[in-house]
Amino acid sequence: MLEKTMLIKMNQQAYGTTRFQILTEDQIQQIYFAALDVLEISGARIFHENALQLFTQSDAVVSDSNRIRIPTAMVEQAIGSCPSKSNLTGRNGRRSIKLQKNEVAFGSGADASFVYDRKSGERRKAALADVEAAAKIVDYLPRLDFCMSHGLVSDAPNAKTYDRHQFLAMVENCTKPLVVTSVDANGLKDQWEMACLIRGGEKEFRLSPLFATFIRSDSPLTINNETADKLLFATEKSIPVVYTPCSIMGVSAPASIAGVLVQTLADALFTVVLCCLKKPGMPLLLGGIQSVCAHDKETVSYGSPELHLTSAAMTEIYKWLGLLSSSPGGCSDAKVVDEQAASESVMSIYNNLMAGTNLIHQVGCLEGGLTGSLSSLVMCDEIIGMVRQIAKGIHVTDDTLALDILKGVGPGGEFLSHDHTFDHWKEWFRPTIIDRSNFEIWSNAGSKTYNDRLEPEVDRILESHAPEPLDENIVQEMKKIINLADNKEV
Amino acid sequence: MMSTRTNQKVNQTAQFSILSEDQKQRIFEGMIATLRDTGVHLHHEKARELLKENGAIVDGVSVRIPQNLVLDALATVPPVTVVQSWDGTRKTLIEKNQVLFGPGPTPPNFTDPHTLERRKYVRADAAMVARICEALPNIGFVQSLGTISDVTVSLADVYEFAEMVQNTTKPILSWSYTRDTCSDIHRIAVAMAGGEDAFKQCPNYVFYGEPISPLLSDFHAMDKAMYCAEHGIPQVYTPCCIGGATVPATHAGQLVCALSESMLGVVVAQLINPGTCVIMGGVQSIMDMQYSVYAYGAPELSLLSAALTEMARYVGLPMFSTAGCTDTKILDPQGAIEAATSVHSAMLSGANFIHDVGYFESGMTGSVLQLVMADEQIGMSHVVARGIEINEETLAIEEICSAGPGGNYFDSEHTKKFTASLWQPTLMDRQSYENWASQGKKTMKDRVIEKTRDIIANFEGPIAKVPQDTKKEIEDILQAAEIREAKKAEAENK
Repeated sequence: MLEKTMLIKMNQQAYGTTRFQILTEDQIQQIYFAALDVLEISGARIFHENALQLFTQSDAVVSDSNRIRIPTAMVEQAIGSCPSKSNLTGRNGRRSIKLQKNEVAFGSGADASFVYDRKSGERRKAALADVEAAAKIVDYLPRLDFCMSHGLVSDAPNAKTYDRHQFLAMVENCTKPLVVTSVDANGLKDQWEMACLIRGGEKEFRLSPLFATFIRSDSPLTINNETADKLLFATEKSIPVVYTPCSIMGVSAPASIAGVLVQTLADALFTVVLCCLKKPGMPLLLGGIQSVCAHDKETVSYGSPELHLTSAAMTEIYKWLGLLSSSPGGCSDAKVVDEQAASESVMSIYNNLMAGTNLIHQVGCLEGGLTGSLSSLVMCDEIIGMVRQIAKGIHVTDDTLALDILKGVGPGGEFLSHDHTFDHWKEWFRPTIIDRSNFEIWSNAGSKTYNDRLEPEVDRILESHAPEPLDENIVQEMKKIINLADNKEV
Repeated sequence: MMSTRTNQKVNQTAQFSILSEDQKQRIFEGMIATLRDTGVHLHHEKARELLKENGAIVDGVSVRIPQNLVLDALATVPPVTVVQSWDGTRKTLIEKNQVLFGPGPTPPNFTDPHTLERRKYVRADAAMVARICEALPNIGFVQSLGTISDVTVSLADVYEFAEMVQNTTKPILSWSYTRDTCSDIHRIAVAMAGGEDAFKQCPNYVFYGEPISPLLSDFHAMDKAMYCAEHGIPQVYTPCCIGGATVPATHAGQLVCALSESMLGVVVAQLINPGTCVIMGGVQSIMDMQYSVYAYGAPELSLLSAALTEMARYVGLPMFSTAGCTDTKILDPQGAIEAATSVHSAMLSGANFIHDVGYFESGMTGSVLQLVMADEQIGMSHVVARGIEINEETLAIEEICSAGPGGNYFDSEHTKKFTASLWQPTLMDRQSYENWASQGKKTMKDRVIEKTRDIIANFEGPIAKVPQDTKKEIEDILQAAEIREAKKAEAENK
């Protein structure tokens, strides 16, 4: 036996995770400078009175009564005022998301008009029960980190207050943090009040927000009054906002990918400036859905590789600016859970996760975001697990190099019975619905396809999982807020 | 405005990396130590003698290889190898970061594209697979997806090559049972090239050989590798390492093994013919502990393959990687999930020959349906992997400013120009629900089957271009091989 002297290996650098990068810093800078040019030369429009006043009192140039041109210094001051980290914390305080550079969270979404009815196999309008079922599934699934409304409920008692009902449906059935949409600033206020009830106060909410509000803008470089209302209220109360400018390449944005990035960034930075003028320090998650439209021009693609590319690139840009990011992922243009839904979900999850997008929403969406599918949610949970395994990278240490073990086993030997294998194989990904059995075992078990195995798993979760109940007194208090709104908005 | 930019560093494609320089060096050192201290078992006397003459320590079948032999071999491997199709229309470069996808060899079963049933692979399938590969834009090389069951058993490899080579101009990665059949295949390739000289100028196929993990090369694997080196045939010399079964369960240990096993082939080939092309890599995945199956759909396959590709670049060798395969038994979302995951990883990694596209059931069944589906996934993956071009025109500041807030980009010259370069799906459906429903609510599986059958029915491939003389020559080679094998069988029976 040889005596071993102390082994000292110096100046070693390892990759802690797999690394992925679309743009260099120089390229990001070029896009950033171009976006600043757009804000200086062309600017953006805002119509909201209070917002306009904020700009008028600032160094920005206001012309045509609502067109705002912004000097770079103002933009950079605003960027500097954004917090580098924040969090979202579920109702029981135990499940939270870190919002900070290179931390990734996945969640369901978002407000689909329809859902895929698993019994009839048909598409139908989304109902409150669907949102509840999805929230329950999100509560159960280990790799989903937040819950966003699976569908836009069509059976709420009042069409102007559906957002409060969605909020209650989610918070009752899911202990993970929420991302919500609000009908308007009043809706947001009610949701925030409900969240403060749970959290125990306004300051407590500021410290660990229960939810972020999702604001989508479909007209580039233009903020409408409803959006401005919500942004200003959220800023006042430090409610994290997921700001999502959406554009279609060649329709509402340039058809070149770099051009879309410039416009989206200019759009996002405009919002950063507005929030900073209202009150510095706003936790903003900047996102965007930048995609192509289908040949029939009726639908925006949620599965196109261009969407995955722009999402990853926007994340890199926001990271470089020290801002937080969000993007759609786990979504598809397919109408049912088929090979297309699987392929497109993989691509969006893969690229967003590798890029390090903070909040990846829209998991479980089919048909370009118009149809929600519970089955797709469960499928994506497994996909996220697989991609995370790749993102973990490889550890290179004396133990993992296993040179002595290899020498001991020798050429032609086997490792199956070795302790080293027993110690390490549990680090591998273990599938849930994916099946690796051989042909004989598989055909004896009924030759089931992935879908055949997926559906019973969805049923099993729905039947067996019971989310931790929410304090009944708080539920009653929340219902009072909702009733008040229902009666007021008649 | 004039702009003079300086000091710009640009990603011309996406950058993807699993190992740091230090991590790569440690794995490289692990390979050096393993070949030196543990060595390999080599069941080929001539190869052992050759290694011994050059400084290896030989003891029975055990061969321990000193590091200078490895470094000398790595110093003579070619940076670029060109493979040219027999009709002269297609050149394939084997060089750093040049990516090609293709199917894999030798599953015993095949999914019949008409009945969708699993059945034995037959001779006609080889020609069909080659034609489908020829038709698919994102498939860059050809392997058979099966082992022919309806010819003389010991000549399945030769018939396969004879069928495929006439039906595709993309490079074939052939395999063989023995040096004899390796030589039959080579003679067919020479006939297709139009003679020895033409082949020597530019080879028209690549040979695929496989040592056994861990650290063992049987007689035939090494014999064929030596034949290829002697004849200047570019060759793949790669193991299928099973993490937790034939190699350590830890990925770093698996990479050391895989690298060491290929390196033996590199050393021998370079000693015989310095400058001959040897490609490293192989199937790298884990043993599924629940079913004792070699998991072709595991994310570990993607991770290990991408990491081994980085090791290949580190040592200056081309890489034979794996993707587009699955553990499913039938075309379904599992096959799509597993293929998309490995395809994108392999694409980003920049491996040279990414094989096994179209494998079902852990490599037990070949499926052209899976292949056709993966072709579309490769197209999608490439859009992301090729990254973003950034210049004044693509940044479109003028366009954005002239459109103004909320502006319209419809039908502008800029839009027309760049819309043309957007990716167009052929199997992904982006229609509205109503249009999709009115066309029969087809799933992607339905569309894959339609497209596959359409190729089979309507795509002819290059077979009409094969000269009659060459066809006759191939028939003669097959006949001579039959006579030889019959004699061998007779001798064995006695």
